[in-house]
Amino acid sequence: MKVAGGTVLAGSSCAYAVRFLIASGAHGAGVDDISARKWGMVVDLSQCPADCTACLDACREENNVAYHGDPRYDIHWIRKVRLEDESGTEGMGKSVVLLCNHCENPPCAQVCPVQATYKRDDGIVIVDHHRCIGCRYCMIACPYNARQFNFKDNEDWPNKDHPRRSHGVAEACNLCAHRLDEGLLPACVEACRNAGAGALTVGDMNDPDSDISRLIAGSAVKRLKEDLGTEPKVFYIGL
Amino acid sequence: MSDKKLATGGRRTIAVAIAVLIIAFPLGYSIAGYLFAPGDPDGPPFLERPDPKYDSCVRETVFMRYHHWELLRSVREEVVRYGKRGDVGLSKCRDCHTSRERFCDKCHHATSLTPDCFDCHYYP
Repeated sequence: MKVAGGTVLAGSSCAYAVRFLIASGAHGAGVDDISARKWGMVVDLSQCPADCTACLDACREENNVAYHGDPRYDIHWIRKVRLEDESGTEGMGKSVVLLCNHCENPPCAQVCPVQATYKRDDGIVIVDHHRCIGCRYCMIACPYNARQFNFKDNEDWPNKDHPRRSHGVAEACNLCAHRLDEGLLPACVEACRNAGAGALTVGDMNDPDSDISRLIAGSAVKRLKEDLGTEPKVFYIGL
Repeated sequence: MSDKKLATGGRRTIAVAIAVLIIAFPLGYSIAGYLFAPGDPDGPPFLERPDPKYDSCVRETVFMRYHHWELLRSVREEVVRYGKRGDVGLSKCRDCHTSRERFCDKCHHATSLTPDCFDCHYYP
């Protein structure tokens, strides 16, 4: 009885120390400083077949993105948009894969009133759904329409190892930050490779030897809405 | 003269007595209920660990009993905002304590708490 009481006293007085105890214990060994990297993506539209949906399905499965079959409530972290030529000539259109561009100057992070949307040190623009209040200001601010609001989440839960979002928050592609942190590739990139297309590449832009740095340096890459000054980190080849 | 005083004094006493009864009755009822309530025959809830994959928990039992929510909140900040993943996480708890009903909900139901973690984080 006395021991328990003493422990309670000691425990409650350690409340402030808890943060530091956890901080020292929670970092796994070998986690390097994430600010050393800067993640970017290159989308090679010439390799993207028009009717392939591998990345779309993989993203939905991996991240438990809501799908109800109702365009009012469906959420798409990655979309494929068909651009047709103005004259309507057959075969002159192209499919463009759109997702959050993870800008260097993200307007969504600038306007978030609670800083639930922020740019992580490694360049990924990510939403902290614990903090999001659902004001949807980020949705208004994003020039690429990449952010969507969660009205109703999925009934099913395809990936039980990863949390889903419940209703009331704004969400967008987070470049599978949980996979990148473990050294894996994002779900869309892996699915594209498995489908044989290899149109998506994600890598470290700070590393001059990575695939993505070489692609950016060597090919004619273009970004969406470059005149806005958001400095997006998703580069397109063949746009 | 004395009759009038008695009449008004008596009415006031009765009114005060009724007011005191109205206030004291619910209070007394709940105090009596607490004093004479039958205790929980099972004692404190038993939190099961059916599948011990690891030798011990990430923190001691006493610490967890009093601070597990603070631990989870700190880890949440570290992981989500700084990307520093470590050995603490709800999915790791799930490895040993496999059932939410027989582990988490035992205390949460007893104390009538409804944490909303499980809206998003899977815990069967």
